[in-house]
Amino acid sequence: MKILCSKDILQTGVNTVQRAVSNKSTLPVLQGILLKAEKQTLTFCATDLEIGIRCEVAAEITEEGSTVVPAKLFSEIVRKLPDTIISLDLNDDVLIIKYFQAEISLKNYDPQEFPLLPDLDDARFFTLPTALLKNMIRQTAFACATEETRPIFTGVLLNIDGHTIKMVGTDTHRLAYRIAEIPNQDELQFNGLIPSKTLSEIYKLIRDEDEFVNINFSDSQISFQFGSINMISRLIDGQFPNYNQVIPKSCDTKIYVSVDSLLDSVERAALIARDNSYANIIRLAISNRILKINKVTEIGKINEKLDIKMEGKDTLISFNAKFLIDVLKIIDCEDIVMEFSGSFSPGIIRPLNDSNYLYLLLPVRAT
Amino acid sequence: MRQLTQAFLEVEEKLISLLEEVRSLMPYVQSLEDENLRLKRESCALPEKETERVIANAARIEGVAHDNLVRLYKDGFHVCHLYFGQPMEAGACLFCAGFLRRE
Repeated sequence: MKILCSKDILQTGVNTVQRAVSNKSTLPVLQGILLKAEKQTLTFCATDLEIGIRCEVAAEITEEGSTVVPAKLFSEIVRKLPDTIISLDLNDDVLIIKYFQAEISLKNYDPQEFPLLPDLDDARFFTLPTALLKNMIRQTAFACATEETRPIFTGVLLNIDGHTIKMVGTDTHRLAYRIAEIPNQDELQFNGLIPSKTLSEIYKLIRDEDEFVNINFSDSQISFQFGSINMISRLIDGQFPNYNQVIPKSCDTKIYVSVDSLLDSVERAALIARDNSYANIIRLAISNRILKINKVTEIGKINEKLDIKMEGKDTLISFNAKFLIDVLKIIDCEDIVMEFSGSFSPGIIRPLNDSNYLYLLLPVRAT
Repeated sequence: MRQLTQAFLEVEEKLISLLEEVRSLMPYVQSLEDENLRLKRESCALPEKETERVIANAARIEGVAHDNLVRLYKDGFHVCHLYFGQPMEAGACLFCAGFLRRE
């Protein structure tokens, strides 16, 4: 294998696929990146057997071949290389990296041991506008659970039924729901749980100039293709619970409040509530068209007051401040509607005049 | 050849006697079916008072069961079908709350 390419190209490929490199695998070859030189294309490939990322870049290839480089070391070397044309030359299992008058020799893994990423040949196929997918990921994936003890809640439910696409993420304490219309997908049906880690990586890798994302799926795997990148992921096994039944259909109190003002107030109150013994809990007191956030802890106290529009009864409700801040940061409008049914029922947060997004948050029983 | 004809005649006789036996059993089957239908109708036609008692009892059991589930939830255990009976280690659960509200 003999390749000539710029440092930038190497860095792009390595940075893209490095997210899929396994950190804790017992299979040493998974700690590497597969480099494959073929027909003037250099392909980078990495997998931890959960996610696989493939990235293709153009390079001058004088001799085809493949090798697996140790990911961490190769990435650090590439980062430190000078900004010039780099030559990669494979000699048995040693990769020789040449630049100016210098060279580095790197012992590699056997490419035959590297697992092949499946091609999903018999998969079904659909296309989503990049901006829509990115926004839906941003608004739902954060609500997923991070602990692996409950696997179905570590994924986002993606449901497509003809023209309607829904994404739902929950960790059982909060639930984020987003619905949208997609054109030209009359016959399409899909229902699958995509690991939130996969979606976060897609979110980071998609560029605004990639107009569409091509998605292939089989019963157990899904792949996303955008630009020169192809990412494949397993789907999470299991039945997502019926989320419709947890969404209250009515409320006793409805308030209209500015997102920025509420976010600022909650963030300030969270600073005082950060003391571990108070578990980051803040209390909202709603009455007489005023929302008060009061917090007293051993480190200090805070009294915040916001003017709001309200309908219905006065109420008093406590939330985990982090869960409130999370949603206030991803809402794309100036004002929100918050609906409550007493101190113990879940609160609903929606953007004003936008029924396509909903966030459900369980209150905390504060003393 | 004659032996074969004889064998067929014997089989024919046996079949005729079997057919007669089946015909003699038919009235018994018919009477059993009639009796089954009559008994089914009788068992469905419970007196109104009895029906009310059954409905009231079912509602009472449902109420007690709901109270028990609420108590279990307040004591810190899941009552949703996903994790029923497991301790709620990280605070309240939306699916338990939704389930109790629906009940």
